Order: sequence, then structure tokens, then C-alpha cells
Amino acid sequence: MTDHLLIESGGPQTGPACERFVGDATRLAGDGHRVVLFLVENGVTAALPGAAPGIETFLRGGGEVWVDTFSAAQRALPATDLAADVRMVEMDDVAAKLLEPQVRAVWH
Amino acid sequence: MARPIPATDVLLNLFGAPHQSDLVTSALRLATALLDRGARVQIWTCGDATGLTSAALGDTKPRDLTDLERRHPSTALIVRNLLADHPDRLYWYVCRFCADDRGAADQIPQVSKRSPFLFAEHVKAADKALVMGVC
Repeated sequence: MTDHLLIESGGPQTGPACERFVGDATRLAGDGHRVVLFLVENGVTAALPGAAPGIETFLRGGGEVWVDTFSAAQRALPATDLAADVRMVEMDDVAAKLLEPQVRAVWH
Repeated sequence: MARPIPATDVLLNLFGAPHQSDLVTSALRLATALLDRGARVQIWTCGDATGLTSAALGDTKPRDLTDLERRHPSTALIVRNLLADHPDRLYWYVCRFCADDRGAADQIPQVSKRSPFLFAEHVKAADKALVMGVC
């Protein structure tokens, strides 16, 4: 089992790449890996209910969704507007995760 | 003689267009968070991102005509200050080919221009690498 930190910066409005990336996260989680999907920049819009259906599948499959507080605030997206099971985080949380030796990370 | 490449915890590669998105903000936020945790970080810029540390930028951005008294720092000054705040833990490298190709050969002295052929060595010197700004 491997820990993964997958970072989505584009969001669903950039085309199918976001959904495919979330699909990769879901498959990794389905294979038993620990996966954190961090949404940053326009990627935070994927946490809006219904914006990226793959997010719900990912969450049901045991994945964890982190949303960048700063990016969400810049886009006037309060946590109450986002999916219930996501976690609002600071960049310090991401740095801590990235520095864990067993974590593999991808920026998309 | 080849210059040594310091070992780092994380290599952030800025490959995307720097002003098309929040890329630069995100990279600087992440780098700062990593440094605050005591990590060693190197940043490699390619393409138009090499212009972030162009000497021609000076210390401030052009004056805001709606707020003439206010001064906004250039990216070159932000990078210079970040490097000064974290000596021996932060390294900023600029792809020589990309910078030359974009008329940004004159860089601030605090950054290092490197041949693109050395890129793999920089990846090897880092525990982890993130490629930012391109899919």
C-alpha cells in the first residue's frame, strides 16, 4: 500500500482531464492505497456538489478530499457551499503531507 | 568543473505559463510552507517562468494608476527576499536555454542559470519532484 497526494489545479471546467485525474485517484483508492486528492486554484470548484461526479465516487471509495482554503476564499466559495465530506486545509497541511517519506505526489 | 547540486527534499518545477493561472502564487505558497517546516527546496523554472526572475523587472511592478502611492513587489524581488530568508535551504534555478530564448538572459544574481541537460541531475538530487503548470 502506498500513500498518494494527488493535486488537482484545473477543475472540471478545463475539460475531461480533471475527471480522468479524479478517476485515477478512485482507482488507486480502490486498489487499497491511501489517497488524498487536494483541490487548489480552480480545482476547488470540483468540490461543488454535482460539479465533478467522480469526486463522490472517490469519497465513497475511501479517498480523502482536501480543499485549499485560500483558493476557495479567492473564488468566494465558503465551505458551506462545498460537498459535505471534504476537508478545508492550509498549505501547511499539504507541505506536511508532501514531506511524509512514503507519500508519492502528482501535480495536475 | 560541474557545480554541485545540493540535495533537497522537494523540487518544484515551474513549467507552465506563469501568469495564465495561480501557478506562481501556488508555487510560492507551497515553497514557503515547506521551508517553514524546515525542508530544503529547489525550484527550477522553464519556458516563460524564467522571466519571473529577470533582472529587467526591477524591484517593483509598474505603478498602479488607480493607487499611485502603493508599491507592489516584482516577482524578482519576492524571489530574492525568499532566497535571502532561507540561505542554504532554498535554491532557484533557471533554464538557460529558455531564458536566452525569451530575452531573459539577464537574471538577478541570486538565481542560477543551468543548462537543460542538467535537469535530470536536479531531479536526482531531490527526494520528490512536482511538475507544475502542465498536465
